Amino acid sequence: MPARTCDSRCVIAEPVFAAGMTITRSTATTTAPPRPRRNSAWWLRPVLGLLLPVTAAAIWEAAVYAGFSDGRLVPPPSRIFATFMDLARSGELLTHALATSLRVAAGFAIGVVSGTIMGAITGYSFYARRLLDPSLQALRAIPSVAWVPLFILWLGIFEASKVTLIAVGVFFPVYLGVMAGVLGVDRKIVEVGRAFRLSGFEMVRRILLPAVLPEFVVAVRSGLGLGWMFVVAAEFLGASEGLGYLLIDGQQLGKPAQIVAAIVAFAILGKLTDWLIVIATAPLLRWQDSYGTRQRGA
Amino acid sequence: MLAIQQVGKIYPGGVNALEGFSSNIELGEIVAIVGGSGCGKSTLLRLVSGLDQSTQGRISIDGTYYTTPQEKIGIVFQEPRLFPWLTVAQNVGFGLADRPREERDRRVAAQLSRVGLADKASAWPRQLSGGQAQRVALARALVMRPEVLLLDEPFSALDAFTRADLQDHLLGLWADQKPTMIVVTHDVDEAIVLADRVLVMKTHPGRLQEEIVIDLPRPRDRQSAAFDFAKRRVMGALDRSLGRRAGAEELEVRVEEGAARWW
Repeated sequence: MPARTCDSRCVIAEPVFAAGMTITRSTATTTAPPRPRRNSAWWLRPVLGLLLPVTAAAIWEAAVYAGFSDGRLVPPPSRIFATFMDLARSGELLTHALATSLRVAAGFAIGVVSGTIMGAITGYSFYARRLLDPSLQALRAIPSVAWVPLFILWLGIFEASKVTLIAVGVFFPVYLGVMAGVLGVDRKIVEVGRAFRLSGFEMVRRILLPAVLPEFVVAVRSGLGLGWMFVVAAEFLGASEGLGYLLIDGQQLGKPAQIVAAIVAFAILGKLTDWLIVIATAPLLRWQDSYGTRQRGA
Repeated sequence: MLAIQQVGKIYPGGVNALEGFSSNIELGEIVAIVGGSGCGKSTLLRLVSGLDQSTQGRISIDGTYYTTPQEKIGIVFQEPRLFPWLTVAQNVGFGLADRPREERDRRVAAQLSRVGLADKASAWPRQLSGGQAQRVALARALVMRPEVLLLDEPFSALDAFTRADLQDHLLGLWADQKPTMIVVTHDVDEAIVLADRVLVMKTHPGRLQEEIVIDLPRPRDRQSAAFDFAKRRVMGALDRSLGRRAGAEELEVRVEEGAARWW
């Protein structure tokens, strides 16, 4: 039995012999299972991903430090970090981040609720879909930022117009996701609901919406992404606080470090809220039997 | 009693799936419906379930005519059709949502242990084997204590051992509650194991060809001569329904090979 004594280099040969091996042979291997190859490099992949940005930042930092550039338009990482910390320490960052987050939260809530309701109605009812969907699709084709002047005329320059813009941005991916999901629900499962004599509302609540939950989560996540996008547009158009205001302020006063610091704050908030959705919905999706869940389970 | 009177169905598009079907089915009776493909046996079951509406004739349960799904009627489909986002226990309790929680839990637990899956109560449907999933589907229908249980080729997707096992199991469950059962099947053995009466259907358009009463005592021995005799009668009727006139010898061979192979 050559495979028993050799080192890890001949690991590939083992399974070939294994079929013909006796039980004593296999018990011998359980005491020292061969380590999976991937283990040695698990830390390498994130490091590889970070290599490029970290190197670029380090080079730029060094270049500014050495005096090749004054770093006025493109601030070095240390200056961005210092600005970020200053803003954080003075409480300004919190104020602005909070203002922006509240706008997104309000718009997101309105957009998700209305998108879900409309998507469920148009998905469930053939006539509602014929009646409403063409108009909604036409509205969807309008770049949402184009609404801004109208919203400002209608709703004023303060919070209402901003929240509405964000809600519009969130509405469409959620609406589309729910409607497409409902249309794609297995007819056979819907029939079980009919056999149990569910009303239209119960059919939506107990069968159609749970069935589309995986698609719903994806739709809500892309809706949230658009929400963060639109809050910037909204805050560009006249706000006295918010991360978007920090961006404009940085531009007008020539403070690029502040702009980048605000961008970093956006990135952190966007990633954080997206992650919160994933965490919050994970327990609701445990039932899934799909490629992705199997991979996570493995 | 379930009364099916001159029922027919023409689908939009003009396909005449079923024509002039009549039968009275007593409470507690087990009726099997067999026939070649396109004989309207599944159509008939869907009309009785209220999921589809007949274009001719009418159906009543206990004297009440109906055209929509009824509380007294349960159905099990060819596939388990469990809700993947609910656990096994939640699936079984699906139709009891309006009952008090305590009653629901008690009935679900009782029904699950009756189908032998008490230990799977909190499992997800994806974790079940085909036979287990179909038993959950049975439990989901039976927990409602239906007067009539409709089964549309309930075991046809399962392997032969599981199928025979579940047929016996189904008879045990039937003995508990004694609902009327209508089983659509293409398996002659299954029809004879289960049914008091076998209705043989004819194609194009689907209609009733013959009715064969199986008065063998239960449990029925699949190997017995009486079973074999009943099987030959049903197969003979099936051959006539398909316009074939099998010679005695040929029929002999077919009986030995088993029914499921040609229809």
